[in-house]
Amino acid sequence: MLLAGDDHISITVDGPREAQAVARHLRADGAWLEVVAGINSVVVQFDLARMAPQDAIEQIQKASAEAFVDDTPIEIFEIPVEYGGDCGPELEAICELLKMSAAEFIEIHTAGEYEVDMIGFTPGFAYVGGLDARLDIPRLDEPRVSVAAGSIGIAGGRTGLYALPGPGGWPLIGRTSFQLFDAAADEPFILQPGSLIRFVDAGRQ
Amino acid sequence: MSIRILKPGVQTTIQAARRTGLRHMGVPSSGAADPLSMALANRLVGNAPGTPALEVTLSGMTIKFLEDVSVAVTGAVALCSLDGTAMEPHATLQARRGDILAVGAATRGVRSYIAFAGGLQADDFLGSSSTYLPAGLGGHAGKCLAAGDEIHLRDAATINPFQTPEEFQLPMLSSWMLRVSRSAETDRLQDSHALFAPKFTVANRSDRMGVALQGAKVSTDIEGDMPSGPVFPGTVQCPGDGSLFILSADAQTTGGYPRVAKVLREDLHILGQLRPGDALSFVERSAEEAATELRAKHDYWRRWLADIESII
Repeated sequence: MLLAGDDHISITVDGPREAQAVARHLRADGAWLEVVAGINSVVVQFDLARMAPQDAIEQIQKASAEAFVDDTPIEIFEIPVEYGGDCGPELEAICELLKMSAAEFIEIHTAGEYEVDMIGFTPGFAYVGGLDARLDIPRLDEPRVSVAAGSIGIAGGRTGLYALPGPGGWPLIGRTSFQLFDAAADEPFILQPGSLIRFVDAGRQ
Repeated sequence: MSIRILKPGVQTTIQAARRTGLRHMGVPSSGAADPLSMALANRLVGNAPGTPALEVTLSGMTIKFLEDVSVAVTGAVALCSLDGTAMEPHATLQARRGDILAVGAATRGVRSYIAFAGGLQADDFLGSSSTYLPAGLGGHAGKCLAAGDEIHLRDAATINPFQTPEEFQLPMLSSWMLRVSRSAETDRLQDSHALFAPKFTVANRSDRMGVALQGAKVSTDIEGDMPSGPVFPGTVQCPGDGSLFILSADAQTTGGYPRVAKVLREDLHILGQLRPGDALSFVERSAEEAATELRAKHDYWRRWLADIESII
């Protein structure tokens, strides 16, 4: 536990599941301005006008010790993906880099069951873990200014899903018609940390 | 029952209160980049601090009134005129139907705020009507205002005019000092004095996402990407090329660069006025000093802005 700013406290944990468990537990407190989970950390923003840093640290220490990882999956989603072409402009280059055909790539990418590690960066952007090691590629050198909603990219061992249009630096492999955002819903972003995902080749349906 | 945009300028958006408690969904704060200046404009027309108003960037803009309403302009130093007559900033003005308000190019600072008695009508997204441009949310269909746009006034009113007392007129500088605290990766700096010795210059690549700095290079002992971790407005990032980047109102919620400092809560409003070419230096505060100075700043401003804790 570490004071990571005048009104930020950072907690380092083992991984995404622990981070989400601690974040959920602290958020349920209702005592904090923001509780944000990263891949292996949680940062709490407290109200410095109402709470002394030392008191915040003590409260967070106590509360985060009570958090537990709930392994029950939230929900399983089948995400249809239109791979390649205009939907996935980098797929061809990625396949060349990885020395495989598009069909092989799609076979590997649709084989696994994945878990959403975290939501972050931009509204509803889902970091999905568990990408097959054979598909590990780096981010784009020059991020795009705008990526269409529903776009799907891969980078650094993860698949990323863009719930809304926005900037993005992940090479794009495809796009889904699955509605990732519903403004009218209580939880407007459909995918949650812990959601399980299977990608399905839309071209084969 | 509205105003019409004649010249929109390079980037004029509707901003209101921040979106809070949503960063875990990836939703940035947004809201005025300089919320203190926006609150001062709203105060002059009898509005609560987070009432939707216009945020004008650098180049200025021109609007036409299609009904009578009290209006005020604050923020950047810029020549303004109402119906051809030069107008005082930091004062309530009465615009009549048909009048034209011109806010000139900023000569100090970056952003002007135009508030209208009763406020502007704007799209709500998750509890705030602040515009977030990258995803096209809130404000006026999520977009920058364009020539010909008509923005509805919510409850256009005229109120008795007054001025902001001089002691509460925010100074616009060309050389700034930002108070910062240590952050998550501060102890990974190669040289812990590197942040505090040099003067930095605000770079052109600065916007509502963040303020880029040039000048001294700063380095950490971290190689490659770190696991993505939470970032906030005020987080000072140190990318691999050593050029610091201070995150601002529309900042993303997570990032992979070392976080080497955090701008104190009480100084975040300054980020909205840092102009390319301005000089900038950092000064360090402990957590306890930060808390004391936040209280002092709140006490000072509470004498003019009642709900100051919601503003800074």
